[in-house]
Amino acid sequence: MLEFVVGALSPLNLLLALLGVAAGTIIGSIPGLTATMAVAVLVPLTFTMSPDSALILMGAIYTGAIYGGAYAAILLNTPGTPSAIATTFDGYPMAKRGDGDLAVSVACISSVIGGLVGALALLLLAPPLAEAALAFGPVEYFWLAIFGLSLIAALSTGDFLKGVIGACFGLLLAMIGISETSAEVRFTFGSNVLLGGVETVSALIGLYCIPVLIDLVATPDRHLKAPEQTRGFRLPEAFRLLIKNKVNVIRSSVVGTMVGALPGAGGSIAGLVAYSEARRTNKGKPSYGEGNPGGIVATESANNATVGGGFIPTLVLGIPGTPPDAVILGALLVQGVRTGPSLFADGASIVYTFIFGLLLATVLMLPVGLMIGRFAYGAIVRAPKAALVPVVAFMTVIGTFAIRNSLSDIAIMIVLGVVGWVAGKRGFSVSPIVLGLILGRIAEQGFVQSWTIGDAIGNLWGQFFGRPLSMAIIALTLLTFFYPFLPRLKQIVSRREETPGHDRERAARPAIMRDLIALLIAGGIALLALQQSAHLNPEAAVFPRTIAMAMTAFVCLALLRLALTRHVTEFAVEGSWIRITALPIAMLGAVFLFPVLGFGIAAALLGLVLTVIAQHDKYSAKSWTILILSVTGVIAACTLLFSEVLSVPLP
Amino acid sequence: MKLTSTLMALTLTAFASVASAEDFPKGSVDYIIPFGPGGESDITARFQQPFFEKLFGEQMVVNYQPGGGGAVGWSQLNNMAGDGSVIMGINLPHIIIKPEQGDVGFKTDDLAAVYMFHYTPDAIVVTADSPYKTLQDLIDDAKANPKQVIFSGSGKGTANHLAQVQFDEMAGIESTYVSFKGTGASVTALLGNQVKAAWGYTTVGAAQGDKVRVLAVAMEDRHPAFPDVPTFRELGFDMVSGAYRGIAVPNSASEEVRTQVSDAIKAINADPEFQKQMLDGGFALVDVGYGADMDAFISEKADGYLNAARSAGIIE
Repeated sequence: MLEFVVGALSPLNLLLALLGVAAGTIIGSIPGLTATMAVAVLVPLTFTMSPDSALILMGAIYTGAIYGGAYAAILLNTPGTPSAIATTFDGYPMAKRGDGDLAVSVACISSVIGGLVGALALLLLAPPLAEAALAFGPVEYFWLAIFGLSLIAALSTGDFLKGVIGACFGLLLAMIGISETSAEVRFTFGSNVLLGGVETVSALIGLYCIPVLIDLVATPDRHLKAPEQTRGFRLPEAFRLLIKNKVNVIRSSVVGTMVGALPGAGGSIAGLVAYSEARRTNKGKPSYGEGNPGGIVATESANNATVGGGFIPTLVLGIPGTPPDAVILGALLVQGVRTGPSLFADGASIVYTFIFGLLLATVLMLPVGLMIGRFAYGAIVRAPKAALVPVVAFMTVIGTFAIRNSLSDIAIMIVLGVVGWVAGKRGFSVSPIVLGLILGRIAEQGFVQSWTIGDAIGNLWGQFFGRPLSMAIIALTLLTFFYPFLPRLKQIVSRREETPGHDRERAARPAIMRDLIALLIAGGIALLALQQSAHLNPEAAVFPRTIAMAMTAFVCLALLRLALTRHVTEFAVEGSWIRITALPIAMLGAVFLFPVLGFGIAAALLGLVLTVIAQHDKYSAKSWTILILSVTGVIAACTLLFSEVLSVPLP
Repeated sequence: MKLTSTLMALTLTAFASVASAEDFPKGSVDYIIPFGPGGESDITARFQQPFFEKLFGEQMVVNYQPGGGGAVGWSQLNNMAGDGSVIMGINLPHIIIKPEQGDVGFKTDDLAAVYMFHYTPDAIVVTADSPYKTLQDLIDDAKANPKQVIFSGSGKGTANHLAQVQFDEMAGIESTYVSFKGTGASVTALLGNQVKAAWGYTTVGAAQGDKVRVLAVAMEDRHPAFPDVPTFRELGFDMVSGAYRGIAVPNSASEEVRTQVSDAIKAINADPEFQKQMLDGGFALVDVGYGADMDAFISEKADGYLNAARSAGIIE
């Protein structure tokens, strides 16, 4: 064993681990650059290395990228990688109130602990865990997705029905394109643009980041509340929080390791499941979703634990646990390293050197991550709006493009962003939509597969409800789903007369009209989906049709409630409508200009226009010059980075 | 990376001064895989990558453009530069079946296929502890229990799925096919005993080693990596099938560019080291170059695939 530790600690490998973690952290922090892409870009570089060095570098980049996703989640309310979705729930509220530095430190420490637990599981328990993961069949994946959906209740910002309607909308969005299980073209309305479906990461960027940008330009208010004085890393505070959350961090790390070990599940689901469990057992204040550091602890420890966890099936079974693992598996094959049952016996030196390398990289993440996090926080807090908005908007555009080199994905991203902003103002929070979008495909595949199997063995009921693992997940789901209603149930049972909510004021007529229109649009979408699924074959139609019918029912319920109670959940639009509409229009305009003017020039133009849109302060000629030079400078540097280093074929 | 290698290549050509304007490649080549990373298309592209650089002194940059089971990439191929700087992976039966299922933005004939370089032969795979010791065991069980022999496989309308349909017809059985997203998920279902067997590829047998037993492979001759596994033909079923992979260029590419790309891929296929890597991985090489050979190959394969897809009810 000692020789492997020495192997991992060779100066070259140490350097690679350090570089990998730093590069991964930076890449992961840019929305649109995912861990998968970070690793894929690196593959050709590893051809010339020895397999163990290559693995260490890729593992370090991977683990860094998963952690780096937390910065954008905390500071911009946009998950840098899909794994960090749940980090936004509490991270952004913390940053809003001036605790962004603390949130970043908590994220870093949690990621390190999660990463260590995952890597240790890989070291000590890989073969049995790989076997255990195989017990997860299609029906368990289906129920796991439903379990993830049970978070809707928690993420609905005060209006449960609107949350469920939003989730149905997200599920329907996930059905667009060529169906995975039946290969049929669905919901494209004859447009080739929608053939490939709504790309998850670009949708995430649009739904989370564009509303933040719109709200940023609308008013002159500061983006984040700046702390009174620089308080450093706030490390002691962060460590105290971790100790307070010790059960949370261990449970989430274990959840992350196990979900990571399930082939195909990945970091986003691990983060959501861990978050949901942490939230259910939380007794402290503030509540989850309102800036409780426990939410960050849960998500970040879980998603970094999936790194080690995901390598379990990758190395033991030769089946990738997470998407980046798929890339690494391919790179190993090119190196002539055959993963799978015999690797732990024949290739022990590679495997163990790699695992110790991964442990090393994870430990290095503490200083590297804290330092980069501190820098990111400082930059975003101090940057004037007129610089922050164009740079972030540019990142969303180039990041979205980079995912699959598609200009139409950028347009979809922006349109979804506007939809997300409007929906948010109407009380449909974005997170349930995202939940539906992410979990929709997994749920559908699991459902259709289980149905086919159940039908073949003539026992549908037993297939869906009779398997012990399924029963356990169903029980957990019910518990999580009804948990938010428990306090109210208790209240209703103990003191019948006092039902909260009924003392709320009736809304004014215009607000009721606005809600009516929103609900009718949602109903229209549901009916459209029903009509569109009429001509599909049963396999492709069953899931979207069910969702569309449920959505119709929920819309009717919401309409009924509106008529009876006249209560409206909405958030006021503040600031200038001109700026609000100008931002998405400018961004969409740029999409059309990219092929005409070339990417660099159009991007610089977009940057300038957005600088003006976001400008609220009075600037002198000198500050304008500095502002414009720095914005165009950052855009030029990033364009070069993407086209030259990351080999993205920009238009 | 690209920048440094471009610089290096420039210096090299300056010194060598043998390069003429017609030489392929003129610079680095974008190799677009219309699928996500990690699948067979990606892995074989990665296998080719170092050999391309070794032979031609230029980088081959692998890019992904996933979506719609390849349709997103293929529908955009003809808008790209036809000067040889962009090549794209193509897959059979995908490019034949997809356009028949509806408007997917491209027709089979739109794609300028220049080389088919390998295929993953269809194979029936069971776990090592399966009661099916031979193909006959499986057929007997399927005859006694219609529909109850459940196969996993990668996707609908794919090589795996069409093989199941064809085999059911030939063997006179009725089995159940469950579609999974990619080979990895299909194999996971097999190893976890969620299904009784998998319609997979020879690559599954190579990757899983002792954990699985391959009952038969759909090749003309036995695969060198599995000398003990019979072909379907030996067992009385005339099946040679699988997923074929190759390269296409935008249709604006000149005859010269098409031939040059075809020759380049052919040269990689001729490298014994490359051949060994591919065979060890369970892949099987084919060499179908640009021109009449390719046309004949695709139209012959198309007939078989379309017939199977019709009997599977995937297309009308």
